[in-house]
Amino acid sequence: MSGCDNKKHSEEKPVVLEVCGIGKTFHSGSSRQTEALKNVSFAVRHGEFVTVVGATGCGKTTLLNIIAGLDTPDDGQLHLYNGLHFGENIAYVFQHYTLFPWRSVLGNVSFGLQMRRIAKSERKDRARQLICEVGLENFEDAYPHELSGGMRQRAAIAQALAIKPKLLLMDEPFGALDDSTRTELQQMLTGLWREHHMTILFVTHNIDEALMLGEKIFVFTERPGRIAKELKIKMQGPRNKTTKEFTELFIKIRGLLSTQMD
Amino acid sequence: MHKEKQKNKDTRKRDSFFGWIVVPALVLVIWQIAAVSLKQPWIFPPVTMVFKQLLHPLREHYASGSLLSNTLVSLVRVLTGFLLASITAVTLGIIMGSIRILRTLIEPAVELIRPLCPIAWLPFAIVIFKLKTLPQLIGISYSHTIFDQVQLGMIFVIFVGGFFPILTNTLDGVTGVRKNYLLLAQTLGATRRQAFLHVYLPAAMPMILTGLRQGIGLCWFVIIAAEMMTGTDSGIGYLLMYASDNSAMDIVISAMIIIGGIGAGLNFLMRAACYRFVSWQGKEV
Repeated sequence: MSGCDNKKHSEEKPVVLEVCGIGKTFHSGSSRQTEALKNVSFAVRHGEFVTVVGATGCGKTTLLNIIAGLDTPDDGQLHLYNGLHFGENIAYVFQHYTLFPWRSVLGNVSFGLQMRRIAKSERKDRARQLICEVGLENFEDAYPHELSGGMRQRAAIAQALAIKPKLLLMDEPFGALDDSTRTELQQMLTGLWREHHMTILFVTHNIDEALMLGEKIFVFTERPGRIAKELKIKMQGPRNKTTKEFTELFIKIRGLLSTQMD
Repeated sequence: MHKEKQKNKDTRKRDSFFGWIVVPALVLVIWQIAAVSLKQPWIFPPVTMVFKQLLHPLREHYASGSLLSNTLVSLVRVLTGFLLASITAVTLGIIMGSIRILRTLIEPAVELIRPLCPIAWLPFAIVIFKLKTLPQLIGISYSHTIFDQVQLGMIFVIFVGGFFPILTNTLDGVTGVRKNYLLLAQTLGATRRQAFLHVYLPAAMPMILTGLRQGIGLCWFVIIAAEMMTGTDSGIGYLLMYASDNSAMDIVISAMIIIGGIGAGLNFLMRAACYRFVSWQGKEV
């Protein structure tokens, strides 16, 4: 525990997630090894919206999988506080295959509630309410293949919210969407984050997106994946990409990412 | 553009009308002319003679029952065996597909037994089950229903016929389940048992239905062959053989038409079920 001093700042909100010196190496073939993560340490506080930005393939997904309990680290420790528990109140939204193709939108959104054996009428009510919140009120009977990419991610977010997550992990959820849809969904997500009082850890390779959403940004570098910089964003209210502050931060992050590529 | 599409649709409609009505009618006409000029109905009966039999499906033939009663016996045998095969093969397939050690242990045995023609099991099955029937199994010696014709040996052979295609397809389906769906279910709180029911089963459903379709087709093949063996006394396959021994070719061909028609009907039903239940197949996003 000596390497973890994240809990010192006691004047802030409580830490819900603490990652201490996590490392992960993948072995492929006989001798080839890829160091996906090396000595990654950070803490996420209750109610924070944290974005992790880095090039594709820098181990961000591995990190999220470890936090979600879908993978185990080789080194280091992961601490969850505040009653956080895998399969209970940590939700995960992927980029692809985010919905069960054999279930309608309503069936998908109520999946988590069904697993918790909540009565049918109650889970339908709760699912319908969430479907409205993400703006899919006329599509509850539609199947995933009948929806557009943006609508599918809306449904996926509702599906995640249905289990009332304290921590929402998102792995490039808007990565496959066009710009205007992406902006729409970013705004919706920010709204939902405020309303539902969750903590969000959002991974993206898009610097714009990291800046639009995050209160705190971890800049991730590749091979081995680790955090090069932690930035706090102080911009108030809805963010504007054309401001000087935004552009300066953008250039700063770009610089951090590109020096690593040399 | 739109007009062209409409035109294509019309051509397709016309072609399919020819394919389903005109061509078969032509075949029947040629058959009729050939059979009438041959004048040997005990070898090659004309269409009219065969249709006369098909139009009187309740007529008793010698001591072997009617076309209809024998068809029903065959169908009940097949459906019983197929039902048993479906339940066991799908369950075993899902369990084997999701628990690696079980698959490693059982698959070699499956691969060794599978290539054996189901009919080859018949003598063995008859020795094991004698001529015990379904009602006798539950202690009723004679129930006066169609089930008195459903011998356990027959069911066993049908079971073997349907079991393997259903098992292998289910296995393939379960192995092909995207890991993502399992992870998603896991993060949403599904237990291992819930994952079987709510992820493995629905995700493998397209392959399971393919297996069921192949399975029921094979069961129908197997029953006809099994009923043609000596020692049976009912079923459409038996009637076909019996009529052939008595040179009643019109009944033989009627039975063939019924067998073919039911086979096609079963296949059609299973295909409709695929469209109905797995409309998402091939459209994963």
